[in-house]
Order: sequence, then C-alpha cells, then structure tokens
Amino acid sequence: MAICVAIIGKDNSPKYFACSNPDDEINLQYKVLSSLDVIEEKLNTANKVTDFRELFLGTLYSLESHKIYGYVTNTKIKFIIVVDSTNTALRDNEIRSMFRKIHSIYADNICNPFHIPGEPITSKSFHDKATSIMFGTV
Amino acid sequence: MQNVIPDQHAFPPELCAKPLSLVGISGLDTRNNATHKSIWDVFGNTKTDVSGLNYKLIDNAYEFPVVKPKRNSYEWYIPKGILKKNWMEKHLNKIPAVMVIFYDLDWNDPQWNEKMIECASRVQSIRVALEGRNTKLSVVLIQNHSVNPGDDDSHQTERVNALCTSCELNPNSLFVLPHGDHLQGYATRLAGAFNDLAQNYYHTEIRNVKSHREHLQKQTHQYLFVRHQFKMGFLSELKQDLHGAHKHYTHAYNNLLEIRIVDTNAMEIRTVAGFINYKLCRLMFSLNLPRDAISQFKAHTERFKTRYGFQELSFEHHAWMALQNQVFGDIFDEAVKLGLPAVQTQHPGLYYQQAVHHATLRKKACEDLCKGSNVYPLPDPLEGIATMDFYGQRPWRPGKMTSDPPDPQVEWNGIKALQFLENQVNHSIIIITLYGLAVAQFKTYRCPRTRRFLVVQMADEYYNSGDYGKALTLFSHMLWDYRSECWWSLLSHILYKALQCAFLTARIDDYVIFTLELLGSKSTLPKSQKLQIFENLNSVFRKQCPEAIVILPEIKKSRVLWKNLLGEAPQTYKLEMNNIVSCLDCKVRFQEEKYQVDGLVIIEILVRNSSDFQITLLGISISLENYVKNTEICVETTTNQDFCFAAGQVKRFIIEYKPNPADINKELEISSVHLYLGHMQNPLFDLQFNGLGNDIKSIPMELVHFRNCESIDFDNIKALLKCSVVPRHSKLAMHFEHAKPALVGEWYKIRINLADSRDYQVNNLIFEISLQDDDVSDTTEFKQMSLDNELEKLPIKVSLGDISPSDQCVTVLYMRAFTTGERNLQVNVSFNLHNDDLIPSSMEEFIHVSVVKPFDFSTKILTTHFEELIKHYVDETFVIMPIINCLSPWPLVIENTELDYHDNVHNEDVSISSQLIGCEVSNGETASEIYMANTSKVSDSPILIGNYTIHWKRANGESTITKIPINGLIVDFIPLDLSVSLPAYGLVRTPLLVEYQLKNKSHHLIQLDVSVEGSEAFMFAGHKQFQTTILPGDRRKLKYNLYPLIAGSVSLPRLVLSVPENSTDGPSLRQEHLNSLLHRSLPTHIYVMPQMKGQPELTNVIKRCEMINLN
Repeated sequence: MAICVAIIGKDNSPKYFACSNPDDEINLQYKVLSSLDVIEEKLNTANKVTDFRELFLGTLYSLESHKIYGYVTNTKIKFIIVVDSTNTALRDNEIRSMFRKIHSIYADNICNPFHIPGEPITSKSFHDKATSIMFGTV
Repeated sequence: MQNVIPDQHAFPPELCAKPLSLVGISGLDTRNNATHKSIWDVFGNTKTDVSGLNYKLIDNAYEFPVVKPKRNSYEWYIPKGILKKNWMEKHLNKIPAVMVIFYDLDWNDPQWNEKMIECASRVQSIRVALEGRNTKLSVVLIQNHSVNPGDDDSHQTERVNALCTSCELNPNSLFVLPHGDHLQGYATRLAGAFNDLAQNYYHTEIRNVKSHREHLQKQTHQYLFVRHQFKMGFLSELKQDLHGAHKHYTHAYNNLLEIRIVDTNAMEIRTVAGFINYKLCRLMFSLNLPRDAISQFKAHTERFKTRYGFQELSFEHHAWMALQNQVFGDIFDEAVKLGLPAVQTQHPGLYYQQAVHHATLRKKACEDLCKGSNVYPLPDPLEGIATMDFYGQRPWRPGKMTSDPPDPQVEWNGIKALQFLENQVNHSIIIITLYGLAVAQFKTYRCPRTRRFLVVQMADEYYNSGDYGKALTLFSHMLWDYRSECWWSLLSHILYKALQCAFLTARIDDYVIFTLELLGSKSTLPKSQKLQIFENLNSVFRKQCPEAIVILPEIKKSRVLWKNLLGEAPQTYKLEMNNIVSCLDCKVRFQEEKYQVDGLVIIEILVRNSSDFQITLLGISISLENYVKNTEICVETTTNQDFCFAAGQVKRFIIEYKPNPADINKELEISSVHLYLGHMQNPLFDLQFNGLGNDIKSIPMELVHFRNCESIDFDNIKALLKCSVVPRHSKLAMHFEHAKPALVGEWYKIRINLADSRDYQVNNLIFEISLQDDDVSDTTEFKQMSLDNELEKLPIKVSLGDISPSDQCVTVLYMRAFTTGERNLQVNVSFNLHNDDLIPSSMEEFIHVSVVKPFDFSTKILTTHFEELIKHYVDETFVIMPIINCLSPWPLVIENTELDYHDNVHNEDVSISSQLIGCEVSNGETASEIYMANTSKVSDSPILIGNYTIHWKRANGESTITKIPINGLIVDFIPLDLSVSLPAYGLVRTPLLVEYQLKNKSHHLIQLDVSVEGSEAFMFAGHKQFQTTILPGDRRKLKYNLYPLIAGSVSLPRLVLSVPENSTDGPSLRQEHLNSLLHRSLPTHIYVMPQMKGQPELTNVIKRCEMINLN
C-alpha cells in the first residue's frame, strides 16, 4: 500500500490529498509539494524528447523514509504517490497501474457536471475509490 | 569546569589537508639575507597544486621526530588502536621527503676549499639529524656569477666531483641556482627535480610499510591491516599517486569492515571508517568518478546507519552521521566548483539536507538523554583527550583491547561527562547552518519548493531556539508562494506558527494580519482555534494583551512588550492586505467605464466577511486618484449596524462622486480601499486593499457561476478600478439635410440643423468640420453659408455664439468635389451648457457623402451626311455632335451649352446658338446637338476643335459649369473639291436638276474622266462619259436632268470620277482619294414623291438651249 495519494492541478495547487496517517499529513504535503520541483524540471526538459504518451514519470525522490512517484496527464494534472521506502512489494509496474486507476477515476470525477473544473475534489465516492487504491484493496 | 576540547566529531585538519610532498629547505637565512629571502619567496609562493610540493623552512634548531626502533617481529605485538593521531601530521609537516641544503658558492670562489668543507659539514649535520630516515638529501649552490657552458669545463667538473665526494652526495642531487633574472624558471625546474626525489622517497616508504605485511596475523593484527593500508594510501597521496591511494584506501576500508564491532570499539571504528570514507570519496571526485563516490558514500552510510554504539551516547552517532553527510556535501560542492556537473536529483544540497536530518535527530537524542546531566563528574574522565594516541578512543579507556572487560563505573562517568558536554552544544546553530547550506544548493539546482520547505524548517529551528524575530521574518517571506499555489493547509500551518512568533515578539501589525488571514475561509484551522485567535484579536482591539496560544517560557517577556505597546499613545497601523487571503475581502468597481462630467460617478464597494464570526468595521473609505491628487472618500452610513458583518455576509456600499470639469478626458482610479478596524481611541488598523478582491488564482469567470452564491454574488463581480470622465454628451439633435449623392463639380449643399429639446441656454456653440481622409482634401472645396463667400480651409470652424433655448440653429455648408469617391465629414459640436455651472459638452457626428459623375460626355465627328469621319479635309465641312449622357440619379437641367472653336477651325453655321437650352435629362437619357465647322490647315496629329461648355444644374440646385475640350481628327488635303446641289426631293415623272461642281484647289491642272452610271429609277439627260480638264483655281459644273421613274428612296445615278491613265499630273490625286471624296460628298439616294396632280412647275430644269450649247 501507498501512504499518500495526491492530485495537483496544472497551476500546482492541490486538488486532492489523501494519506494513510492523518498526523503526518502536513509533512507529506510539504514533501509532495517539494517533489513538484522535479516534475517541473522533467516536464521542461525531457518532454520534448520522450514519448508524450508516457505519462508515468517514475521516481521523483527517493528519500530515506519515502519514495515519491509522479505521473502527469496531458493537461498537466499531476498525480503523486508516496510509498514507504521499506515497502518493497510495490515495484514500478504496480505503481504504474495505481496511477492508471487514479487517472481513470479522476477522469470519471471531472466528467461529473457538478464538479467545477479547477476546484479541489470533494466528492466522497472519489475519496472512497482513491483511498482503496491507496490501500491496495482494489 | 569547562574543558576546552576540540569538537571530537569534526575531522582533524591533517586529514582534510591536501597531502603534498614535504620538502625541507635549510641554509636560507630569510631574515638577514635579501638573496635568500627572494629565493624563499619564489619557492614559497609556487602554487602547491601545480608542483605538488610543500616547502618547509628548516633552521638548524629544528628537531626531526625521533625514529622508532625497528620491530623485527610482530609476534607479540598487540596494537592498541587503529590510527595513531600523530602519524599523518608527522608525514605531512615534520618528516621531509627531500631535504634541500642551500649554500652560497661560486665555482670560482676564492675561498673554495674552506667553503666546500663548511658545506660538507652542514650536509653532514643534517644527515646525522635524519639518521634512520630515508630522506633524500640535495644541495643547491646559490651562485652569483652565471657560468658559461664552455668556460673552463674541466675545472668545474673537478670541483663538482670534489664537492660531491666531500658531502658524500650523488652528483645527481647537486644543483646550481644562478641568482639572477630567471629565478622563477630555475625554481620550477628545481621543483621538478625535488619532486622526482620526493616520489622516490615515498615509494621507498610505501615499500617499507608493505614489507611489514608478511609478519602480520589475521587474528591479532586486524587493526594493523587497516593501519598499514591507510598509511600506504596516505603515502601514495603524498606521492601524488591518486590511483594508488584509491586502491590502498579501498583495501583499508574493506579491512576495517572485517573487524567485529563491539561497544568498546564502535566509536573508534566509526571514526576511522569516516576518515577512510572521506579520503576515498574525495579521491574519487578528483579522479572524476562521481558516481563511484556517491555509491561508496551511500554504502558507507547504509552500513553504519544502525551502528549506534552506546544507547546513552546515541547523539554521538547522529552527530557522526550528520558530519558524514555534511562533509560529503562539502566535497561534492568542491567538485562541482571544479567543473563537475550536478543535476537536480543529485547535488550537494541533498546531503546537506540529510545532514540536517541527522543533526535534528542528534538534538532530539540529546534532549532525551542529557536532560539531567548538569554536573560534570570528577575526576575528569575526559582528561587527556587532546593527547590521545589513537583516533576515536575513549580517554578513560585508552588503548584497551576489546577483550578487556570495561570498568562499569569509569564507563558510566565517561558517558556522564560526554552527555554533559553534549548538553552545552548549541544544536540549533548547527542545524540552522546546515539548513543555510542546503537552501543555497537547492536554489542553485532549481528546486524552489524544496528550498521553501527548507526555509520553513529553518524558521522552525529559529523558533525552537527562541529567535522568534528571525523565525517571523523567514515565515513571512515564505507565505506568499504557498498562497499563490493555494496550499491552504500548509499556509495555515505556517501562519499559525508565524502568529505565535508575532505574539512573542509583540509585532502587532503582523499579529493582526496573520489573524485576519487565519480567520478566512481558506484557512484549515479547526474552529476552536479560530475562536481563540478571534478572541485574541478582539482583546488587542480592547487594548488588552492577547492570550498566548502555546505556553512557552518567553510569554512573560512578551506580555511586558504588549503592555508597553498598547500603553503607548493611540496609533494607526497601516496594513497592506493586497496579497493576503484574509477573512475580510473587498472589491470595488465603477459602475460604468465612462462617466459624463455632469453626472455622478458611482462607485460600488463590496465587502465580504468570510470568517465564522461577526466583525464590525469602524469605517470604509476609498482613495480616488485623478491625474493630480488623491482624494479619500468615506462611506457614509446612517447606523453603525451597516458596518457590522455577520459570518459570511457580503455588503454593498455606494459612493457617489461628482466629477470636476477639470477631470474631463482624464482617468479616475481607485488606488486603494481602506477598511478600518479596531477602536477609535485604541489602536486603529487601516487595512488597505487594492479593491480587486483576493482571489489570487481564481478559476475562469464562466465557471464561477456554478458555485453556490450568496445574495450578492461577490465572486462574479468583476472589479473595475478605472474610469474615464468624458464631456457631457449633448442632448442636441443634429440633422443633416442633403441630397445624396453629390455630383462631381457641383456645389453640394449640406444643411445642418440643430434641433433641441434642451432647457438651458447654450453658450459658445462651435461647429468644427473636418474631412476624415487627408488624401481627398486636395480635390474637395468648401464654402459656408453662401456661395459668394470665400473658400474655407479645413477644419472649418463655425462659431454660432450663444443660443437661447427656443432658437433654431441652422448652418449651411457647401462642398465641391472634383473627383468621385467617398467624402466623410466629421462634425464636432462643442458648447457650454449654461446650467448652474457652465458644463462643457460636446457631440460628434459624421456625414458620409459619396460623389458620383453627373453625366458622361462624348463627341461624334461626322460628315455632312452624318456618317463617321476618319479624317478632316481642308475646307470640307464636317459635323460635331456633342453627346451628354445623364448618369445622375437626380434629373439635370441643361441651362446652356457653348462651343468655342479653336484657331483653324471655323464655324459654318449661320448663327451659333445652343440647341439644348432648358433641356432636362433624367438618369439614362441622352442629350446631343450638332455644330458645323471646317478646318483650314493640314495637321498630322488630331486637332483640337474647341471647348465645349455645359451650364447645368440639378432641379433647384446651384448652377454648375463644366468645360470639356473636344478633340478632332487629323486633317488632310486633296486638290479637288466636289459639291452637289440637289433638291430635297423629286417627283415622279418630273425632271429635276442635279448640278455637280468640281473645283481645283491646287495650282496644278487636273484631268479627270467623268462618267455617270445609269440607274433603273431614273432617266437622265447630260454627259454620260467624258474627259475634262480643270485649270488651277477654276471650277467645272456638271448639270444633269434627272427624270424619276419610281417613287421612294431611290438610288441616284452614280457619278464616277477617275484619273485618266495617261494623266500627266503627278500622284497628288489618286483614285482612292477620288473614291472617298465621292463617298463623303455625294448623296447616294434621294426621295422621290409620287406624281403631283396638275402640271408641275419646273424651276430648276436645264433649259433646252443650254443643253444644246453644251453640245
């Protein structure tokens, strides 16, 4: 399981944030925000060369305690997953499929006519789905 | 009791110094001898990086370290530690690899022998001092006279040999330094030679160390394996052999890892591992192996991460880890400065960040472990720490082997002492310094957000260390970025801390701003905390010290500060609210973009309280800026309740402002909006907004409509901070009377009527008329009022002065255009409305006039038989037919036409008068008339017949004269002239007379064959065929009696003229000339009427007698 899932809008403001341990939320938010530096750099330099259909950015930060993965949609919506470093069960492939699931539920959510684009996601059903992806129960 | 001990965690300087081969220099008296001084300066200033040599001046009093007795067997030797503290220092700075003896001696010195002996004795004394060492000796002779190579070679060689022998010196180690111009160059060459000797020396030393290895045993001499490899590595470094050094250090590191770690040696192994790792990483960066360096470092920290050693001293472990990271960051940074490229994901900052992490852990461990250690134990267990033999050993347990059981009491005392010392350390400074290093690196590697996070942590550390002022500054600098990226929970987190800092430092303005922002809807603070800070805010308004949120020892101090602050004279604090997402938000707009000067400018102010509490303002005002001054206008209210905002309430206020006539065509701008909070007598807070609302990153307008909105839709109102004041728009009605289109050349009449529904007198009414396009101004003329006036220049100003309400105002404008196309006239009317004041007003109108041609004009030139003419012939009559084809949509009246003949063209009419006078033509109709004329001169180019003048007008229009030139054809000459006289008609069976007259216009004789062809319609009498001769200037008449047989338009008998074949006359008259003459001069047909009743009168019949005569 991952310990945190975040969705960042194209203006780099948080649209959705969920983590397994609410006490750690502030700290994780700082880390997720910091990892945007790496995403920005990757988007600025690498995107022209690499295949733009590849949305998965791989590991952004590998810290002693956490590993942070990133994924960017074509509309510059960033998905970020934070995993505990000690968790070896999750490899790139698993992370990739988690991102795909998040992308699909995100797409479903913004199709909701009551969602205002650019506003944080508050939908309960989205939250339920996202947390179950985070906990790996899907 | 405070023992001054070096920070035991820091690396010793001898480890960090770059190892350079040590070259001892003796015999230079730098103090008294200028020559020696200059030599020493040259050597001493050589860049060590280049030469790899470290020169050391050694005087006679210098004592070299004593040589230890050689050990023959290691069998009973048990090492007491891994690395001796003095060893590196000894080889770096004390034992020279090369000892250079400088001596002043010229080859041809007069006292050669004595000096040679003195030199030898000096060499000898040094040799004795270095007994047992392998240090190379070398002698440099300082010579004042440079020696020419060819000069007395044998003598020199002899002396060299003598000197070498007496000094017992290899001739290769004897050098000569001519003291003269090229000292630097000689020094460089000498340095090369010294370097060779030094390399040689260190090579021997390494082999010496290596030779010990065979005596060692795995079990007992594990420490020595490490020590020897380390020594070899270090000596290789001194030798400048980096690859060798890398190899030996790697072995040393691996040997070290084989040693079993127990509590007693953990510290020592860790220390030495740190040293070797440091050396290794640094070497790898120098060898351009940054990846290897990083992986070595990672493996190193990974390996030692969990080796805590004593639990009671775990802070030591963290300190060590922090040091490892910091030092790695340093050498990484050093490598980057030397050109190593680093990337965003791998740069020194990451290691400084890691160092911070460990430094923080160290601090925490210290707080946990050293709380009670306020007493330094006696006797001092750390005594002699500075003089320890080995690195990383405990002073209370020096040189003990791991097998010895430690004395628990001594151990305990030692730990206590260390804990006591640790307690004295200012961890915050260490942590903040490391943060500073990391922040600088992250800035370089484009990680603005990570950098911000680090700064926030740094501020936290300042806060923890009690430096609230600095913490506040850092926090407040970071707020903006978090706000702009809408990370509200982080923002609230930082704000809350900043609020505490502001409280503790009694910064009332910051305190209020932070509170206002924290009370806003974006803040993620729980409601209870919001309530608390709201109440604190109210206490500030009531001049009371706010309650502390967190209990800290500094509270008392800050209470005093607050008391002093609030006790001072009432103050107004100006708070800049522009970039802040505060709970009070305000938007302001002009209701329109343009206001007329006589109306009221209406400014709408919307204020929203997005907090959960009721907030009462003292007042609202705006600063209105026109081009010169700033006016502050307050909102006026009837009751105080108007300024009381319930939770989430939006209120609208209106300000009316009467613009000044001086504001016309200027902009009005709302420069700021002020909301006043607090108490009139107490501190007053002037919150300054820019009036745009604080939705920094608002989502697009269209989408906002989907939000739930309050009664006043605050979000959807767009702020408008600027408006312009325009002159009063006239209520006058301006009418233009004119009949479009205008015709080219005519005076086109435009009547401008000002009809008005106004109630006031108008002063100083001025029309200003101008053409919009400059390019047609040349072909357009204007007159005003009457055609008798002079032409006007553009722009035309018509001043009508003052007009009372009942007056009608008319002005007439005439325009004449000479080309077709559009004419756009701009009419500006300006006047002062005489109301209570004089109000300048204006209006602007456009007149679009298209100009078209009134008619098309063409001319036909015809023969007298109305056939097209190709050429004129001298003295032959032709017909001019001007044709006027009306194109104007309005009927045109042709008043008169005239044709003025040019010279050489002569009128043939009896009297000239226009046939078109009074003729009216409508669109599509054509008017034409004819004129008869002849010409008297031959011309090869088309002649100008004359000017045709048309006087025309449109019905009830102004009369216009159009002059058009009429062009003719070329004029030719033929000598023969032919005319015919024929009655207008004939009658059947009634003879009629035809008389042809031939005239010779030339000075030559003309001979012609004349014949008349028969016709079925006629019988005729006269010569049918004959030859005739016409004398110059003479005429010949041919008369025929025709007797018509049938009625109708019948063809006449054809007259044929031809030039006789045997004509003596030249080519002046050719057949085709004759044919064309016949064609244009003679009618081909005649009308013949039916026979009249009774006897017709035959007037013009040739009499019989004449016929006879002819014959």
